[in-house]
Amino acid sequence: MALSREIYGALEAIVGARNISEDSGVLETYRCAAAQSSAHYGPYDHKTPRPQAVLLPGSTEEVQGIVRICNRHSVKFKASSTFWSAMGFIDDDNAIQLDMRRMRSIEIDEKNMYAIIEPYAIGAVVQAEAMKVGLTMNMPGVGCSSSPLASSAGWVGFGPTSISMGCASENMLGSEWVLASGELIKTGSLGAGSGWFCGEGPGPSTRGVLRGFQGSTGSLGVCTRMAIRLHPWPGPTCIPSRGTVPAYKAELPDNFKCYTLCFKDWDDYAKGIALIHENDVLFLGHRQFNMFGRDLKTAMLKILTDPDGQLCDIPALVADPELKKVNDDMKIDIQVIIAGTTKRDAEYKDKALDKILELSGGWKSEFMLDKEMVDYVLMYMIRMGHKNLNYVYCGGYEGNFGLSSNLFVSARVMEEASALKRKWETETNYIAATGGDSDMGSICVIGGGGPTGWEFFTHFDSYDKPSIKGTADFFNDTQRWMLEKGLGLDMGHWNQDARHEDGHAFTQEEHDAIFSKAAQPLITAYQYKIRDIVNPKHLCGSYYRTLTPSKIGL
Amino acid sequence: MAFEEYRPMMERCSNCLGCKWIPFDKIKSQRFGENCPSIGYYNFNTYAVRGRFQLGLALLTKDAELSETVTKAIHGCTTCGACDVSCKITRYNLEPYEYNLALKAHAVEQGKLRPKQKEIIESLAKEKTMIVGKTRSSRTAWADGLGLVDMTKGKADVMFFAGCKASYDEKLQKVARASVKVLQGAGVKVGFLAGSEMCCAVRAEQMGFRDEFEKNARANIKLFADAGVKTIVTPCSDCYQAFKRRYAALGLQVQVYHVVEYIEKLIKEGALKLKTPVPLTVTYHDPCHLGRLGEPYVPWKGGERKILNQVHIWEPRRPRYNGSKGVYDAPRNVLKSIPGLKLVEMERIREYSWCCGAGGGCSETDTELSRWTASERVTEANATGAEAIATACPWCEANFRGTPDENGKTIEVFDIVELVERAL
Repeated sequence: MALSREIYGALEAIVGARNISEDSGVLETYRCAAAQSSAHYGPYDHKTPRPQAVLLPGSTEEVQGIVRICNRHSVKFKASSTFWSAMGFIDDDNAIQLDMRRMRSIEIDEKNMYAIIEPYAIGAVVQAEAMKVGLTMNMPGVGCSSSPLASSAGWVGFGPTSISMGCASENMLGSEWVLASGELIKTGSLGAGSGWFCGEGPGPSTRGVLRGFQGSTGSLGVCTRMAIRLHPWPGPTCIPSRGTVPAYKAELPDNFKCYTLCFKDWDDYAKGIALIHENDVLFLGHRQFNMFGRDLKTAMLKILTDPDGQLCDIPALVADPELKKVNDDMKIDIQVIIAGTTKRDAEYKDKALDKILELSGGWKSEFMLDKEMVDYVLMYMIRMGHKNLNYVYCGGYEGNFGLSSNLFVSARVMEEASALKRKWETETNYIAATGGDSDMGSICVIGGGGPTGWEFFTHFDSYDKPSIKGTADFFNDTQRWMLEKGLGLDMGHWNQDARHEDGHAFTQEEHDAIFSKAAQPLITAYQYKIRDIVNPKHLCGSYYRTLTPSKIGL
Repeated sequence: MAFEEYRPMMERCSNCLGCKWIPFDKIKSQRFGENCPSIGYYNFNTYAVRGRFQLGLALLTKDAELSETVTKAIHGCTTCGACDVSCKITRYNLEPYEYNLALKAHAVEQGKLRPKQKEIIESLAKEKTMIVGKTRSSRTAWADGLGLVDMTKGKADVMFFAGCKASYDEKLQKVARASVKVLQGAGVKVGFLAGSEMCCAVRAEQMGFRDEFEKNARANIKLFADAGVKTIVTPCSDCYQAFKRRYAALGLQVQVYHVVEYIEKLIKEGALKLKTPVPLTVTYHDPCHLGRLGEPYVPWKGGERKILNQVHIWEPRRPRYNGSKGVYDAPRNVLKSIPGLKLVEMERIREYSWCCGAGGGCSETDTELSRWTASERVTEANATGAEAIATACPWCEANFRGTPDENGKTIEVFDIVELVERAL
C-alpha cells in the first residue's frame, strides 16, 4: 500500500527529493529486527512493519509540515534519532518514518550551564563539546551513541552519572515539540519567552505531561529541540584517550579516582550504597562489568584491555585460578568514580568512601586498581562508548528482570533472580551461560538516590531461531517470578502491551481491555485525555498507553 | 565466501550504530566525529553498514530488489573500512569491510553496475589498467631516464611498483620518479617489470569485480615469481594493500613495503640523511589502504564454534583485522625526520582516519560523493592551521588536489616522498 502520489508529492515538497525515499531497499533498512535490538517486548524472529516512506526533515518547520500532512490524511508517523531501540520504529502499515539525522545542532550556553540540542546530537558529541568549556552531561545509561534529547523526552533515562546529576527527566529544561496534532509547543521557561533555563515554569509546566517518569517514547509528537542541564567537569577539555584499538584508555589527573567496590553479601552492598547516597561522594556509580556475567567478568576485562584479546580466550581465562579468585572477590561489585573539584576534594571524598566501606564491610578490588585497568574503566565509564559490548557474545541481548525498585528490596532478591537465570543457563542452551548473575545498572534513578535501575543481561544468538524462542520462554519465566514476588513487570516485557508479537500496534479496543482491568486504571484514562488533545488522530502508535475513560465510567 | 554465507552476520548485526562514528572514545568534536562518507553524504540508514546488512538480508529474502536506488547505495561506498574499525571496538564476529565488498560483488554478479564501471573494467581487460584512456604500452613512460633495472632480465634489490595512478597521471608521475630517486640516492638498486606488470586490480575488487581482481592478481603473482622478485616497494597505498593483504591471501610470498616504510628503514640504517630544511607545517592524512586496511595477511583456516551455550568463537584462533596493525608510525616518523617541518595532527587519524573519497572506485563512479568526502577532509586539515596535507597515496593526493573546503579554501598537497626529496 504505497502512499498516494498526492501525499508523497506533498511530503517531497517539504523535505526535497534528496531527503525522502520509498524505495523498498531503503525502507527495509528502517525496520527493526526484534531479535537484533533491545525491544523490551521480545525477542521475536520478526521485523517491525515497513514504512511507506522515510523522510529526513531538516528543521522544526519541516517536521511541522510533515505532521500536518499526516493529520490531514491520517497517515501514522514516528520519529527516531538513532534507531537504537524498537521504540523508535513505526508500528502500523500505513505509516511513515522520520529519520531525524539531519537535525543535529548543539549550542552550549556556558554561563547558564545548559546545551540546546537537536535530536541527532548524540551523547558522545554533546559531551565532547561541553567538555571544551569545563562542563559535562548526564550520559544516558544506554550509552553515548544514543540521543540525549530522545532519552530525555522519550524514555526512562537513568545512567551511571545519575548519582551526581539525576536522571534524564531532571536534566530536561526548556523544549520545543511538534505535537502529533501539528501544533508547535514550547515548554517550561521557553514557553514564556524567558529562555531555556527551566523545564517547568514560568512557562507551560508540561514536562510531566509530555514526558512523565517513563517518557512518552515519541508517541505524542516530535521533540525537535531541547535544553539539557550541563554539570561541572573537573577534567581536561578533551578526554586524553590513548592505547591501541579497541583497548582505549583515559589518563586523567589525580583529582579522579576510579574503583571497583566489593561486598561480601547483598545486605552489606545495600548498606554501602545507601551510605554513598547519603554522603554525596561520587561522580559516577554503576554496576557495569557484571553485565558479562558473574563467572566471566574478569575474563572479559582481560580480553577487552588486551588489543589482541578474543572471545576464544575465555575458556583459558576462566580456568585461571588467579582470575577465579578475583571473580570471587568481585562477586558483588560496583564501579565508581570520584571526580574532585580539586585534588584535596578528591582526597576528602576518597577518605569518606573508605569510611563507608569500613562501615559496610566493603573493600576496593585490588585487581581493578591496576593502572591500565583504572584508565580503561575511566575511559569506558565517562564516555560510555563501549556500551555496545551488550552484544559481544552472540549478537543478541535483552535486559530482563528489571529490578528498578528500592535498593533494599532489589538487593535482597538478587541471588534468587540469579539462581533462576542460572537454572536456564544450565538446563537449556538458549542463552549464554555467564554465571547466573549478569545484573547491570544504575544505583539510583531520581534525585541522585533512591531506587536502583537494574537489569540482567541475557545474551542470545539473534541468528539462531531456537535461541531466540528459548530466550522469550526464559523471559516468560522471569515474568512469572517477578509477578509472584510482587516486583512488577519483567523488563523484557515492559513493552508487551505496546507492540504485538508481529510488530504492530495495539488497538484502542485492545488497550481498553487490558487497562480497564488494571489496578490503577485512572492513569491510562488520564493519558487518554492528554493524547486526545495533543494527538487527536492517534497517529504515533500505542507505546503511550491509554484507556477510553468511558470504559471505567468516567 | 558466497553472499548467502554472510547471512549470520546480517542477522547478528545489532543496530548498535557504532558504525556511523569514529570510535566514541576518540571523538573530540561534533564536527569531526563521523567516520562514514557514505551515510555522511547520503544520510539514509541504507548507506551505513548497518543498513547494508539489512539491505543484504532483504535482498536474500526478496523483500527488496536491486533497484537503481539500491544499486547506487551499494556502490556508493568508498570501502574505506572505517565502519569495520568502529564495529570491532565491541564486536568479534562481524566483518563489515569484507561484507561491503561482498555486497558490491553480489550487485555486480546480478549485472547491477554504476555508470563508468563497465568501461573501467574493459580497460582493465584490454590495457591492464583501470585508468580509462591509457594504454599498456605507455605504462612505464614515467620511468624514462631513471636507469631502473628490468627485472625480467636482471636483478635488483627491490622491485618498484609505481601503480597505475602514479604511472599514468601526469601530475603524479613526480611521486614515482621521486620515490625511485630517493631510493637510488640511498644506494638501493631499484628494478621494475618494464611494463610487463599490470594493474594490481584491487580497485576492481573494491568495485565488486572479484573475478577480474583475482585474474589480474594471479597473473601478477606469476610475473613476480618469474622475475624472482623478493621485495616490492610501492608508493601507492591501494597497491600496498593489494600485495600485503589481498595477494598474500592468494599465495604471494614476497616482502612488501610502502615506500615510506622503506624510507624509514633507510633513515634508521643511516643510508638516508635528510639535511635540507623544509619549513612547512603539514598535517598527515592516513590513506585507508595503508592504515587500517594495510594490516598484513595472516593465513587462517577454521570455523565458528559456540561455547557456553551461545558465545561465538573462532576455532582455531582467527586473525583479527581491526586496524591496530596498520602502517601509521612510519609516515609520521619520516615526516618528523625532515628538518624544519612541523607535523600537526587532525582530529581523525590513524585507524579512525577519514577517507579521501577516492576508494571503492568512487572517484570515477560517484564523483559527487567522492568530492564531498575530500572536501570534508580538506576542511579538517585546514582546521589544524597546516599549510599542506602530506599523504602517502596518489589516489588521495589526486582527490585533495584543488578541492575546496567548506569555506572554499584549498590546501597544498604533497606526497611524503616529495617532501623527502626536498629534504635531501
